[in-house]
Amino acid sequence: MADQEKALASREQLEQDVLGAMRRPGLPYLAALGLCGASVLLLVGLWGWQIHSGLGVTGLMHPVKWGVYITNFIFWVGIAHSGTLISAVLYLFRARFRTSFNRPAEAMTLIALTVAGLFPLIHLGRVVIFYYLLPYPSQRQLWPNFRSPLVWDVVAVTTYMIVSFIFFYVGMLPDLAIARRRVKGWARHIYGALSLGWRGTLGEWRHYNKLYMFLAAFATPLVASVHSIVSWDFAVSIVPGWHTTIFAPYFVAGAIFSGTAMVMTLMIPTRRILKLEPYISVDHFEAIAKILLFTSLIVSYSYITETSLAFYHGNLFEMEQFRYRSFGDYAVLYWIMILCNSVLPLSLFFKKLRRNLSWLFALSILINVGMWIERFVIVVSSLARDYDPYAWGTYMPSFVEIGITVGSFGLFFFMFLLFLKTLPVLSMTEIKEHME
Amino acid sequence: MLGLFSSATLLPGCSRDKHGELISTLVPPDEGVIPGEARYVPSTCTECPAHCGLLVRLRENRPVKLEGLPEHPVSRGGLCLRGQASLARLYHPERIREPLQKDGQGRWQPLSWGDAYSRIVREVQERKGAGRSAAWLSGRTTGTLDELLEAFAAGTGIERSAEYELYSHAALRQAAGMLFGVADLPVWKPEKADLLVTFGADLAETFVQPVAYTKGLSDVRLKEEFAWWHLEPHFSLTGANADRRLRLNPGSEAAVLLYLFNDLAQRSEFQDRVPAGLKDALPSFSAAEAARRSGVSQQSLEDLAQRLAGAGAPLVIAGSVGLGHSEALEAALLALLLQNLLDPAGERADWRRTENYAGLADLNTMQELTRRLRGEEIGVLFVSRCNPVYNLPLSFAFSAALEKVPLVVGLGEIMDETLEACDLILPLSNGLESWGDAVPRSGVRSALRPVIAQLHDTRTEGDILLDLWRALEVGAVPAESWQKYLLQNWDRLYPEEQISELAVQGFVLSRPQRPAAQLRVEDAARTLESGLQAPVVRGAALVVAPSLRTFDGRSRPLPHTAEIPDPLTTISYGAWVSLAAEALAGLGAEKRDLLELSAGSWRIILPAKAQPGLSGDVLALQRDSLDGLPLEVEARTGELIMTVPSLGLRGVEGSAALPVLAGSASQHGRGLIPDPVHLKEKDKKEKRYSLYPEHVHEGYRWGMVIDLELCTGCSGCVAACYIENNVPVVGKKDHLKGREMSWLRIEPFYEEDGRVGLLPMLCQHCHFAPCEPVCPVYAAYHNPEGLNVQVYQRCVGTRYCSNNCPYKVRRFNFWQPRRPEPLDLMLNPDLVARDKGMMEKCTFCIQRIRNARDQARDEERPIRDGEFTTACAQSCPANAITFGDLNDETSRVAKLAGDPRAYTVFEKLGTVPSIHYLAPRKTEGTHG
Repeated sequence: MADQEKALASREQLEQDVLGAMRRPGLPYLAALGLCGASVLLLVGLWGWQIHSGLGVTGLMHPVKWGVYITNFIFWVGIAHSGTLISAVLYLFRARFRTSFNRPAEAMTLIALTVAGLFPLIHLGRVVIFYYLLPYPSQRQLWPNFRSPLVWDVVAVTTYMIVSFIFFYVGMLPDLAIARRRVKGWARHIYGALSLGWRGTLGEWRHYNKLYMFLAAFATPLVASVHSIVSWDFAVSIVPGWHTTIFAPYFVAGAIFSGTAMVMTLMIPTRRILKLEPYISVDHFEAIAKILLFTSLIVSYSYITETSLAFYHGNLFEMEQFRYRSFGDYAVLYWIMILCNSVLPLSLFFKKLRRNLSWLFALSILINVGMWIERFVIVVSSLARDYDPYAWGTYMPSFVEIGITVGSFGLFFFMFLLFLKTLPVLSMTEIKEHME
Repeated sequence: MLGLFSSATLLPGCSRDKHGELISTLVPPDEGVIPGEARYVPSTCTECPAHCGLLVRLRENRPVKLEGLPEHPVSRGGLCLRGQASLARLYHPERIREPLQKDGQGRWQPLSWGDAYSRIVREVQERKGAGRSAAWLSGRTTGTLDELLEAFAAGTGIERSAEYELYSHAALRQAAGMLFGVADLPVWKPEKADLLVTFGADLAETFVQPVAYTKGLSDVRLKEEFAWWHLEPHFSLTGANADRRLRLNPGSEAAVLLYLFNDLAQRSEFQDRVPAGLKDALPSFSAAEAARRSGVSQQSLEDLAQRLAGAGAPLVIAGSVGLGHSEALEAALLALLLQNLLDPAGERADWRRTENYAGLADLNTMQELTRRLRGEEIGVLFVSRCNPVYNLPLSFAFSAALEKVPLVVGLGEIMDETLEACDLILPLSNGLESWGDAVPRSGVRSALRPVIAQLHDTRTEGDILLDLWRALEVGAVPAESWQKYLLQNWDRLYPEEQISELAVQGFVLSRPQRPAAQLRVEDAARTLESGLQAPVVRGAALVVAPSLRTFDGRSRPLPHTAEIPDPLTTISYGAWVSLAAEALAGLGAEKRDLLELSAGSWRIILPAKAQPGLSGDVLALQRDSLDGLPLEVEARTGELIMTVPSLGLRGVEGSAALPVLAGSASQHGRGLIPDPVHLKEKDKKEKRYSLYPEHVHEGYRWGMVIDLELCTGCSGCVAACYIENNVPVVGKKDHLKGREMSWLRIEPFYEEDGRVGLLPMLCQHCHFAPCEPVCPVYAAYHNPEGLNVQVYQRCVGTRYCSNNCPYKVRRFNFWQPRRPEPLDLMLNPDLVARDKGMMEKCTFCIQRIRNARDQARDEERPIRDGEFTTACAQSCPANAITFGDLNDETSRVAKLAGDPRAYTVFEKLGTVPSIHYLAPRKTEGTHG
């Protein structure tokens, strides 16, 4: 009886702790939200100006016609990866440490995808007719070109978005019902509606578990497919430095790498601020650090492979491309990338550092800097030096591109902050399941 | 898909008339105008003294394109960059739109023609009373206007002071006068030569008749026995084209020529031909001495002499920079004598026809005029169609001299330095708005006619002369209007049928009247016997050469002359000085840093550009870069000395914004222009596997062949393409960012041995085009005739096509193109002007294909080979571009594509381009 009471008490404590995060916001929160909101306005303003004046306000030029916007797109799609990985894949593998992370990781996926989805639009020369990219029936009988990887992108990203959203939402239903029970006032009606009348009956739980398992299984291949398809934007082309078969696994590994790092970046402060230490332990972070180390090794292996391949098959254009990458105009970025993505993560071989949250936090940020640079190097330096030497040129992002990039981070954190205050940040039901 | 494209190309065909309104379907259009259909009218180019034949393309009564006139006896269908670009002179937003006079504060105020005339008449009469005369200074004037000016001068007492051209070839003309009694330039015929030796004469750029010479060169360049040696102190595009370029010290041409003449004159086969008076007069001159003075190796000089002696039909031409030095007269005499020795019958240097340069003033005359201006002898000066303030050397201080004149009346179209220094401006009509004629070569009269109503309140020079004559009230005026005067003159000169010839075909050709020249050597012998006195130039020297893009600077206002880069340096906007990389390194400056040049009190800071092929002591500058250069005048001939000797040089801190469009000057062994030695090692065709059916081309399959042996890189095609296809002009700021919009560009690739290959690069219209599959919206697609078509209205601007294009020929509109009024009238209504955010590129002039197909369909026949061609091919002065149907085995293009020299760029990529290049023959490179 006492055990039961104790168990009930700890469950009560859990609900209070998790939903406690949804209390009326304090000044620091509002200040952070305001700052992020301001940078969102910056993004909107600069984008509006770009639409008005033309892409001349960017630093794009001949021959580098893809720049920071495409870099950001890949970066954010990459960030969006780990949510589904942690949620779905680890769910299928019954990895219990996922329960402390899966909700914010999934939220991060959706938010990052929203941000990522903006970039192909920002990047378009004529965004008013972006719908030409969608397959819709028209009287001209014109369809998009299904041979173009950009159309594959549209399909892959939207599929991923829809499935991730359903997965996120379905997994949250029981928690929304808890929220309905515990909040007062008008919010109660909203959570009531959102929880779709969840009552927690046995039948509901049976269906829920089946559906959740099915969705997890459905989402898992998408982890591989989305970034593979994004990588085909490059691999399918004939640009030296892009045209290579290792791109799909290379990009997927990179995406998991950067996404996991981003989970770390978000969760270490969140845990501290929302006082979730009892539910997210250092062990959990260590497990994630191991994923980081593993994916870092894959990414480093890819760097070595693509460079050695270029010199092994002796193609003049490829060789020049990789020589240029490491010693040309963007060499500094290349070596920063190597440092952040390949060298520094090696520190995670040491258990002490794996469990040092300050180091992990710093490292996770450095890894994301490195991964952003990696995408920039791939996109820009390949274009800067392709076949015709007359058409070589160097690209520097303009302040509009930098401002929009800053704004995209603002948008990301803005939405994440809103998530923290409006939805249950941890999966209470799952934590309860694992409670002794 | 095709339907979409045709509506996309045809809809914007609705165009505006001169009042800016849409042509209404209810109001019948003007007589002779069929909306949507082009008319072609022959005319004459007035951009430079060469006066090439024009075919003006008119749409709805406005000129939209200038083409070469194929039958024209001088230019034979070619038109250069400047000629193409000169269309913008008509529509230039900065054209002077009405008569202007300076007010007290130096601002320009409009006034009526009547007021302008009465002010002039008042001044002329007042000053005459005070003993100061009136004088008329003009640019090169030929034909009827020349006659009217003579009559005007005789009738009104306003003296005709000079016909001013900076490049007046004074030394050559004086030498010709001394030798043949004809102070003019012969018609040189490179097409009849098997060995061409040029001393500085930039045949492919600006020298006398560049289009005609380029045409002539193309006739012979493919012959196995033809060879071309070029000797120059700097590095010109012409030098880049020669089979062998010899670099000599500035001003040492006379030494080389003296050696060559002496050497040949002593050979038995020529001994008899040497005129008696000359034999003893000429000082002996060894190859070693010539080598010492010129810096050319003795071996090369002896080789050259040997070649000249052995050649069947040699042609020696000295000119331009080659005669811009203190021994200009000796060099000119020797060049003409040498040619006469090699070709006594005048087959290749024809004196029966001349280039009609006899009337031009030399710089001595200009000096005399300046002296009189300064001495307050002239009360009213008229300055027409020339810009002496800008291009006369610094020592003239011409603008200061103008200040001494109470009234300076300027006649011109666009404000320039000279007009700015005037008190009153009478705006001239453009050549396309006026009647007129020109005599570019004796016996060739080329007509001008108005093809568009006056855009502004301007008048022709002929009308202004007649108006002034009338207003001065001195005797009977010969005609009521310039047009009547012109027709009267034609009536006087030609029978009825020739006048109609002049009207229909645009020119008449009369038989040469002058007998073959008789050689007189007494004067020449007297000049030459004292030997060569000038000291050898030592130390840094600045060579100032005419500019391919703006000649003597006159074409600077034309937007395309700055937008299209100089082909050798690929610099578009701005001035720079070229020098050898070693010299630059010696000054401690990297390749784009600033350099201070000084000579006496003159100094200037310019960005420096490393130029392969220059010797360490020579710096090269194009004439349009600066005004007020410290150049001297050769006193005996009045020739311009084009070298500034003993130049002070200093590297200056700071970097210059200089748009160099080429990403690399070398092709890095990528075989864009293959080494002829390796050309035969072609890859075996591999079988390709594809999931998609291959493109079939049942009707036509358009293709192009570009002969790199013929192409001179003159960039005429680039200008033609810009104007034909409404390609936006984006300006310096975007050029610095690498955002030029040219659909066609000339890529120079320098080799280690000093050779430079010039490659015209444009959309290759690949059979397996990498741009097509990656476009998500089918804006880039393959049409049934083998073109890679870009559907502008469908383009969403992902720019993937450009990334995936190995030739990087696609251009993206980063901004909304700006065309200040009335430049918008210059738009070709046959195709869309693109908006911001759209990708564009070469279409093989699809509007011309469409037009030809429509015409053929109306006549129920297939399109004939050569019936039409693209804009680039049409104006190419070198006949290097051939366009046609590759499916038709009998077509010229299909035959040339099968030539053993044919190759495609980046063949290994498997793109299968529709453009075949014909590799250049192995040239002999540069040697000191």
